[in-house]
Amino acid sequence: MRGRPNYLAGFGSLIWLFVVGLPLYVLLVATFQSRADYAANGPLAFPERFTLDNYVNDLDQGFAQYFLNTVVVTVAVVGIVLLLVPPLSYAIVRSDGKATGRVFRLFLLGLAIPSQAVIVPMFYLINEAGLYDNLLGVVLPTAAFAMPVCTLILSGVMRDITPELYEAMTVDGATPWRIFLQLVLPLSKSGLSTVVVFSSLQAWNGFLFPLVLTQSSENKVITMGLYDFQTEHGVDIPGLLAAVVLSMLPILLVYLFARRALVQGLMGVGGK
Amino acid sequence: MALSLAACGGSGDSAGGGSDEIHVLVYGDATNKVEKQLVDTFNKTSKVKAVLDTIPGADYQSKLQTIISGKQAPDVFFNWGGGSIKPYVDAGLLMPLDDFIAKDPGLKSRFLPSVFDTAVVDGKPYGIPMRGTQPVLLFSNKKVLADAGVTAPRSWDELLTTVKALKAKGVTPIALGGGDKWPTQMWFQYIYDRVAGPEHFQKAVDGDKSVWASADSKKALGMLKELIDAGGFGTNYDSVKFTDGGSPALLATGKAAFELMGSWEYSTLQDAYPDFVKNDLGYGTFPTVEGGKGAPDNLAGNTNNYYSVLKTTKHPEAVAAFLKLMYSDQFVKGQLGIGNLPTTTNTQQFLDGSASPAYSTYQYDLVKKAPHFQLSWDQAFPPAATTTIYQAVQQFFNGQTGPDAFIAAMQNLPAA
Amino acid sequence: MTTAAVPTVDSTDKSVRRGRSSRSSTGVGRPGFAWAAPAAAFFGLFALVPLVLVVVLSFTRWNGLGSPEFVGLDNWSRLLDDPVMVKSLWLSLFLTVLGVVVQTPISILLGVWAAGRQRNRAVLSAVYFVPLLLSITAVSVLWRAVLDPNFGVPSEATWLFGDGNLFGTQAGAIGVLVFVSTWQFTPLHTLIYQGAARAVPQVLYQAAQIDGAGTVRQFFHITLPQLRNSIVTSMVLMVVGGLTTFDTVLILTQGGPGNDTTNSAYYMYQKAFKSFDFGAASAIALLLVLVATLVSLAMVRLTGYDKMRSTMEGV
Repeated sequence: MRGRPNYLAGFGSLIWLFVVGLPLYVLLVATFQSRADYAANGPLAFPERFTLDNYVNDLDQGFAQYFLNTVVVTVAVVGIVLLLVPPLSYAIVRSDGKATGRVFRLFLLGLAIPSQAVIVPMFYLINEAGLYDNLLGVVLPTAAFAMPVCTLILSGVMRDITPELYEAMTVDGATPWRIFLQLVLPLSKSGLSTVVVFSSLQAWNGFLFPLVLTQSSENKVITMGLYDFQTEHGVDIPGLLAAVVLSMLPILLVYLFARRALVQGLMGVGGK
Repeated sequence: MALSLAACGGSGDSAGGGSDEIHVLVYGDATNKVEKQLVDTFNKTSKVKAVLDTIPGADYQSKLQTIISGKQAPDVFFNWGGGSIKPYVDAGLLMPLDDFIAKDPGLKSRFLPSVFDTAVVDGKPYGIPMRGTQPVLLFSNKKVLADAGVTAPRSWDELLTTVKALKAKGVTPIALGGGDKWPTQMWFQYIYDRVAGPEHFQKAVDGDKSVWASADSKKALGMLKELIDAGGFGTNYDSVKFTDGGSPALLATGKAAFELMGSWEYSTLQDAYPDFVKNDLGYGTFPTVEGGKGAPDNLAGNTNNYYSVLKTTKHPEAVAAFLKLMYSDQFVKGQLGIGNLPTTTNTQQFLDGSASPAYSTYQYDLVKKAPHFQLSWDQAFPPAATTTIYQAVQQFFNGQTGPDAFIAAMQNLPAA
Repeated sequence: MTTAAVPTVDSTDKSVRRGRSSRSSTGVGRPGFAWAAPAAAFFGLFALVPLVLVVVLSFTRWNGLGSPEFVGLDNWSRLLDDPVMVKSLWLSLFLTVLGVVVQTPISILLGVWAAGRQRNRAVLSAVYFVPLLLSITAVSVLWRAVLDPNFGVPSEATWLFGDGNLFGTQAGAIGVLVFVSTWQFTPLHTLIYQGAARAVPQVLYQAAQIDGAGTVRQFFHITLPQLRNSIVTSMVLMVVGGLTTFDTVLILTQGGPGNDTTNSAYYMYQKAFKSFDFGAASAIALLLVLVATLVSLAMVRLTGYDKMRSTMEGV
């Protein structure tokens, strides 16, 4: 194939490595020094006096709790999406009723509804439901807004199951329920993993819903912890950056141990 | 629909609905530990328990407005007095505190009058001072000043010459966290007060738009422009923030000579640069302006913070008992201990126990002798005006707009 | 959709297939509407009901206290006269287009490069992926610190950044926003292209090599056309993401300097939660939905992405 080394591409890739790497270097180095050292030595200097205080302080200030909250939200969002989207996608692909077609177009429309657009009434609804400052109040809208993309991805994958397979099972007298469990789900594994990756990223990165719908520190998620850190402890850049590092640790672990699944899942966002 | 739902539900809610609780909502920051102690003290003796809720920093005002008329509303909440509570008074949400004061005159008489008056709206008191007063002061790096052979300026003209000397030395004369916008606004507050006097701004808040186009207004803008053009703030101030530590770091590391900032600058610097505070930190008042209409002793900044009470509270007696603590010895000592400066009449006797006695005493004397304490513009106007004010001051500073556009923008503000 | 009811000569193929399949399996074997109902109800409650309420609110004046007051088209006429609103819409479009123009070539090149199976490429790709592990909030916070004019990278590289006033000028602030989004989202789009590039049949390249085509020609004549579908998907994602950029603006520039980076999404947030003008905010929100819908529809039409629906009919 394209055997000989491509020097131009190699050079370009090194430039990009620099672009990606420099801020990550600044990030790491800053977290291991005191505020005064960081201000005095600049962002590029290697720490003279190595310290873990920034991490210790962050954990003392409740970051462990924020982690837990974020994990709860993420698991719940993924759970709801996995419960609702596969049957929906199955119906979209296999139902011959007009109603499901309309539902599909509704979800396509949903792709174009930015979550910002509905934040005001969302606040009103969640508040009226007594879910303000409650993690469930963040979970429900986050799951709803993750659904259109997930539906698109999953119905795309299910559409690739050849009609003959369906027909074969139907001839055997299988109910939709059996077809769903024995045929559709096993053959949609790749799509399902994409859906899991996508919806958990949505939940993990969620910003606007937690910003508007929660307030107390017991219900803070990591993104809010970071945001509030910036305004509350204004002056502490190394502490803030240590919080950034902490916030990425769980996903980094997932990445290290399940890189293949994560990468495959994300490739799936772009279609097969 | 909303009302009936709110009236029926709520028994299971954590906030607002508890039958033997009062919810106290405060701005979330380092002061919370003193508030927590106070709540604990209160709960030791009270049958109705106080619950402390916090909303962190920047979003306090927006969160407050979204929950205050719903069933998540607190019983007592933190505010800045003035315009920050005016919309709630207008909407009939707040309880006038006359009855409380009639039963316990100390709720009024134990506070400095000028401070107490900031939370009087339409002739009725709506707030009891809490936390402390936060005048804006001109902080300096004494070492940088000495190296350039200058001293802290007493008058505006001196400031201009000092700026020249510092620039010649290659130092940014004044650190400004323009990215936050409210530090920029501090310069307007002071210069308008010095040049046009406090009545001028009061008229504007009361709805007289013509004052913005007055000769004094234009003079104040001209003086600011001169300072900006002289390079007083350097060139990249809009990329600097106070809230991410940028501007205090400039001062502490000697890259800048001055910073105009609220009194909290001291504790901010103390946290990050204790050596600098011990050896080289200077502080003083805003320079005087010759021929100006405002008294040279006038101050600007956050007059104080206040607790206001919602009409809907089910436990007014408990709330009154809680507010009584705001002039207790424990409260004053606790606030002083973390660097805040309460404005009770008994503050003076505890100043020695302050985190930094000299600094606290200096401030207390300033506030006590100030003929007028100008509340920050963004707090004197209702919250809805803040965005417009911030944009106007920033655009004037960076030269995007001239005085006429600034005047027009201020004339378009909603009246308080 | 109605072809079955009005059979014409042209659509015989479709209606025949449709007729056959429904005869063979109506009732048995096919999921009914009940399978879609829970998801539809959930989505309706948490996305469509709020959207309807936005429409209602856009005709009212409401500051969050008391009840909304009906004011007819007042918000709309004020908005259309509002120079900031118009500016913010253009800014949203500009940021989006700029984002697409910057990110697409970088992602395609990196993606095609990473599709190669060499060991060094795999290692570098793993590093490139890291920005995607950070939340948008974390990325914004990080870059704000890295780009601080006095204590960040600009102070060490004045030859490149001058006085470092990146957040104080419109060009600088827009540049930062576009750059930061590129930094974070390039890995995602790179992955999309990497997957697609690996799926290009190798015979095409072998044939081209026999014809004597070089790497560059192969790239333009084989790789790029084969990536067409991925380009569309990636661009749709960029456009929808770009139009609704919010977190980065809030944390990096707060819409400043002045209102120079106040895009529509941020302007809406500002109107709602800073100025407490929920009516006007709702009108802006609807404009945003409208623009996003139109743009997505246009892209779908222009690119034939909607052939999905016809495959559905064919099933």
